[in-house]
Amino acid sequence: MAQIFDRSSNALARMSLVLTGILVIALGVTLNELQRSPWVTRQGQRPDQPVPFSHRHHVQGLGLQCQYCHTSVEKSSYAGIPPTKTCMNCHAQIWTNADLLAPVRHSWATGESIPWIKVHDLPDYVYFNHSVHVNKGIGCASCHGRVDLMPLMYAQNTLQMEWCLNCHRNPGKNLRPTSEIYNMAWKAPSEEKPVWCSVTDAKTGVPTAQSVSCVTDDPTRNGATVASLEMPTAPGAGTGQAGMGEAGGGGMVMPASMMYTKFTSQKALGDFLIDQYHIRPPNQLSSCETCHR
Amino acid sequence: METGNEQGQKAGLTLAEVRRGLAGVKGKKYWRSIDELAGTPEFEQAVLKEFPDAAQEWVDPVSRRGFLKLMGASMAMAGLAGCTKQPDEPIYPYVKAPEDLILGKSMYFATAYPSAAGALPLLVKSDAFRPIKVDGNPDHSYNKGTSDAYAQGTLLDLYDPDRAKKTTYRGDNRQWTEFMETWRSKLIAAKSNGGDGLALLSATVTSPTLARQWKEAQAIYPKARLVQYDPVSRDAVRAVLGAKDVQYSLTDADVILSLDADFLSGSSFPGFHKLTREYSERRKLATGAKDATMNRLYTVESTTTTTGLKAEHRLALKPSEIPAFAAALAVALGVSGAAAPSYAWTDEQARYLKALAADLKAHAGKSVVIASEQQHPSVLSLALQINEALGNDGKTVFFTDAVNPMPTEQTAELKALVNDLWSGKVDWLVMLNANPVYDAPADLNFKEAMSRAKVTVHLGKHADETGSLTDWQIPASHYLESWSDARCYDGTVSVVQPLIDPLYESHTAHEVVQAMLDEPTKSAYDAVRETWQPVLSKSGDGKSADFEMNWRKVLHAGWVDGSAYEKAATATVAKVNAPTPVGKDAIEVQFRPDPTIYDGRFANVGWLQELPKPVTSLSWDNAALMSEGTMQRAGLAEEDIVEISVNGRAVKAPVLVVPGQPENTITAYLGYGREAAGRVGSGAGYNAGLVRTSDSMAVATGATLKKIDGRWGFAVTKSHYQDHRSKFAGGQGTGNNSLEADEALTRGIIREATLEEYKADPGFANEGETHPKVEKEITLFPNWDYSTGNAWGMSIDLNSCTGCNACIVSCYAENNIAVVGKQEVRIGRNMQWLRIDAYFEGDLHAPKAHFQPMACQHCENAPCEQVCPVGATVHTPEGLNTMVYNRCVGTRYCSNNCPYKVRRFNFLLFSDYETESLKLMRNPDVTVRSRGVMEKCSYCVQRIEEAKIAADKENRPVRDGEIVTACEQACPATAITFGNLNDKTSRVHALHLNERSYGVLADQNTRPRTRYLAAVTNPNPALMESPVEVAPTAG
Repeated sequence: MAQIFDRSSNALARMSLVLTGILVIALGVTLNELQRSPWVTRQGQRPDQPVPFSHRHHVQGLGLQCQYCHTSVEKSSYAGIPPTKTCMNCHAQIWTNADLLAPVRHSWATGESIPWIKVHDLPDYVYFNHSVHVNKGIGCASCHGRVDLMPLMYAQNTLQMEWCLNCHRNPGKNLRPTSEIYNMAWKAPSEEKPVWCSVTDAKTGVPTAQSVSCVTDDPTRNGATVASLEMPTAPGAGTGQAGMGEAGGGGMVMPASMMYTKFTSQKALGDFLIDQYHIRPPNQLSSCETCHR
Repeated sequence: METGNEQGQKAGLTLAEVRRGLAGVKGKKYWRSIDELAGTPEFEQAVLKEFPDAAQEWVDPVSRRGFLKLMGASMAMAGLAGCTKQPDEPIYPYVKAPEDLILGKSMYFATAYPSAAGALPLLVKSDAFRPIKVDGNPDHSYNKGTSDAYAQGTLLDLYDPDRAKKTTYRGDNRQWTEFMETWRSKLIAAKSNGGDGLALLSATVTSPTLARQWKEAQAIYPKARLVQYDPVSRDAVRAVLGAKDVQYSLTDADVILSLDADFLSGSSFPGFHKLTREYSERRKLATGAKDATMNRLYTVESTTTTTGLKAEHRLALKPSEIPAFAAALAVALGVSGAAAPSYAWTDEQARYLKALAADLKAHAGKSVVIASEQQHPSVLSLALQINEALGNDGKTVFFTDAVNPMPTEQTAELKALVNDLWSGKVDWLVMLNANPVYDAPADLNFKEAMSRAKVTVHLGKHADETGSLTDWQIPASHYLESWSDARCYDGTVSVVQPLIDPLYESHTAHEVVQAMLDEPTKSAYDAVRETWQPVLSKSGDGKSADFEMNWRKVLHAGWVDGSAYEKAATATVAKVNAPTPVGKDAIEVQFRPDPTIYDGRFANVGWLQELPKPVTSLSWDNAALMSEGTMQRAGLAEEDIVEISVNGRAVKAPVLVVPGQPENTITAYLGYGREAAGRVGSGAGYNAGLVRTSDSMAVATGATLKKIDGRWGFAVTKSHYQDHRSKFAGGQGTGNNSLEADEALTRGIIREATLEEYKADPGFANEGETHPKVEKEITLFPNWDYSTGNAWGMSIDLNSCTGCNACIVSCYAENNIAVVGKQEVRIGRNMQWLRIDAYFEGDLHAPKAHFQPMACQHCENAPCEQVCPVGATVHTPEGLNTMVYNRCVGTRYCSNNCPYKVRRFNFLLFSDYETESLKLMRNPDVTVRSRGVMEKCSYCVQRIEEAKIAADKENRPVRDGEIVTACEQACPATAITFGNLNDKTSRVHALHLNERSYGVLADQNTRPRTRYLAAVTNPNPALMESPVEVAPTAG
């Protein structure tokens, strides 16, 4: 009986083996890439919003501060989407007849909400909290990107778990002084642009922003600018602690004895802030219950 | 499903079997169910299984083939699940945001749950203006933040999808305004004849404002009348004290006697929260062993309740014997004018009486006798006379005005109303939040009588048995939707403040009565303000004050300052003679409010239906509760159906044996057998009201029992979660001691001592062969260092826990736990994260019991984690054993390997994702679990995280007491304490170091983070030598 398979079939068989292997690997790689792709994560996508709201125009152009609209970002898990009233504060006076703003006026007239599409949409089993990030030195731009340069809103990052963990396992690389949270253009300190930070004596029982002060101008020169987050004083927290005084409002009264440390790298600043802001160790930050309940 | 039936068909126990079971037993032994005590083959089978019979099987009518198809599809999809895109989610922001709202942060509002037993002051959690958790008001001196199962359940009652939604007239949808027009025109017409023919029938009026409105209406319509009726009435108090109420204080009571008064198991007893707190405070043993003092509780009762089982000495008497016993006690204590009917007490009973009388006498002025309100009035009358004779008045017993503003003898009034209905004297019958067609005494035939009225109106949350028959049915507002007011136990006025706009087109009794007045459309809000205007316009010293300011203060605090009743040391007590007991052979039926659904008003609350009742662990049903001997004599077995004939009426009821039930006494819980309760409550249990007549509201005597064909399947949870390990670990395996009982004893699940033993040996809980102190360091896995940071732990005081179930319902609400239904409970799939194990001890007829709340122990060396193939249950650096639902693939290995049996598996899609109203109720901080996922107690991790974030933002450690778990918050006995073990100043740290602290099954080297404080009892030496045993009469 003649051979059914020619000798050349051997080569074919070997090749098909290799090919199968390659196909399996290719499928794996494809799926892996696919689930990280913008098609799944919607990273960089700009959904059709009822009003083509431009953050660039409002933030960079007009200089609105983030919290003018996102009012609860320091207090709550949820940063807050502004009510129609916030839009109408200005748009009752300017651009009152613009076609683009018709949905806003419709909402104002009828009492129906403007149906925005969520751009930064975490899965429902993720319990993210804005307030603790903002109070612990993670700037808006670290997650949301340069919102001030976005004519239409999109997600700068994937918001996938691996992206969260990248930071939670090594938070130092993204920490910045809380005075710079809302600074869209903040750059990590460098030799050319160092950061000076000082610490008051009171480290516990007071809001973070009140115990660490950082400035980007050399404090040894005149006209140091000091900004800090406004935080309610903790109930029961000791008032009148050393160096604290009754400093209210946004600014701080600087004790003369305050010593500034100069930082010229993000690594050094990160380590300093981890210590000062009492950032939990990576094993706690990346523990499941931190985000999932 | 066939297996389910087979399980229901198991043979009944014979008394001989039980006795044989008891024969070989010496000393302390524990058991959890009757089957276990007797060691039936069914029980032996059950303990070998991880989940009860059929729990592993597919109960939906899906064929094996269909199942494989589904499985195939899901296998194929499994890999792709990670690649699915989320759908676009819209955001609907406010148009104008409310001023105080910070989205994502909960708000808390003070209000009160009005009930006939006295209002419960509440602080309700509101998320974006949706009430999502009901808890006690922590600032209120009455309950200090604690609550109870009913109050917790009212949340689900608010969101009940079966509530009435529209006003209807004979079934057609109408508007409220149309009703008001009709009602007003009737009223205008009736004005000339003084409102003759107008009758209002209301549930007990708890609101001073409603009482004021009615008083004003009465002035305009002198012939109109308002009758109050609740099936669980306080008529005995009215008969004895008139318009006064009695209050007890247990703080200074060394000896407490309960005469059928179930004051520890739920808020159906007035003052439950305060009494339970004061009772348990005297059992904390905070001073250490040397100067340890405790109170001592005697209970004389007819139905086994947690109050009886917590008692140092319990005496089971037939209901009709209790008045005679009270009289005999009064005679023994020398109460002037007391006369006891002659009765042949058994030796044991006589000995109990003697010891009790001596103990009370020895503690004159430092004792208290608490009487049931659901008994013959003579019991309360005699108890108050005994208190007076002992000099307890003014020390542990006080008298105040009645908590309810219009105290009446309800049954008599209802009877008179029904007579008038029959004689055609009632034109308009307006029923306010009452359901008399279901719950009026059977002899009144209310359904027929009601049809004699020309127009009938029913204002009720549900179109229930009454509402479906009346001409008008108007949806009633829930108390969380409407303005009202009420007085709590001590008389303090709370304003009932709504948490949400009415979900449906509902209205209140205030509006219906207001329609009779000059300003007919005045809102309930204005009416309540009007009531308190004179009070709040004055400051404490009588000077005039700003009403608006005071009103806001009241709304903020939740109560009107200084409105508590004056406590008097004396009152006029009507002397009621005790009737002669009916004899030992006559069968008596005692009617009691149900411990989970009360009088039926919570029948459609799934949380409460599924809640296992204390003592019996029965859920979804009531039963004819009786003793083993009674059952045997009637030729019955458990789950048989018996026809109970009494008062010339009959009802069919399934039989369940209760340990400690007196002979020839059947207990029937009210509230079941509803026909129009809704999707949850309709059809559950039997209606005990069918044999309850107006002259036997508490007890009916002379019943006959007849076995009829058919069997009933109970959903009893106590035989679930049996553990078979000790079979291999050298369990005695005789069938006498159940395996569970072996463990309770030999492995020290329950540890207890008497006060004397404790004083002599303070470390009893961690000494001896059966109570090893296990501190093993060996483990296969590297030890984790928990010495820094937070280390969460819990301590549960077994001496305080009364098994009242408040914690379980609180857990339901906090953690979005699903209700599974009776069939699923029967096969062991109930989802409660927390259960209360009752371990009975001793004689079946005179048992003692220990209640042990059991939830995930958060073992440091957790067996579940070691077997999870997908890392879905893992440990956190702070020592929590967490579930990651998204990783869980449902192998159930973890549950298999859990020695405590505290893991719950979603065999089917138990969570309701569809019903709109239930979505509003969910706690947004907790995932709603889907099918195929394991879940269990998380130590309320969402609350831990919330507190940690708050503390982190302020750069401080979490304060002790800042994190309160849901169970801890609800507990009226403050038995549960949660905190940081690494905080050397925390309460839980101290409690874990307490000499009575022990870990359950710690010999497994699980290193549980939840530890228990061993129980200490304070028995009377005079009754110690041979414990009281009520021997069953020959069967």
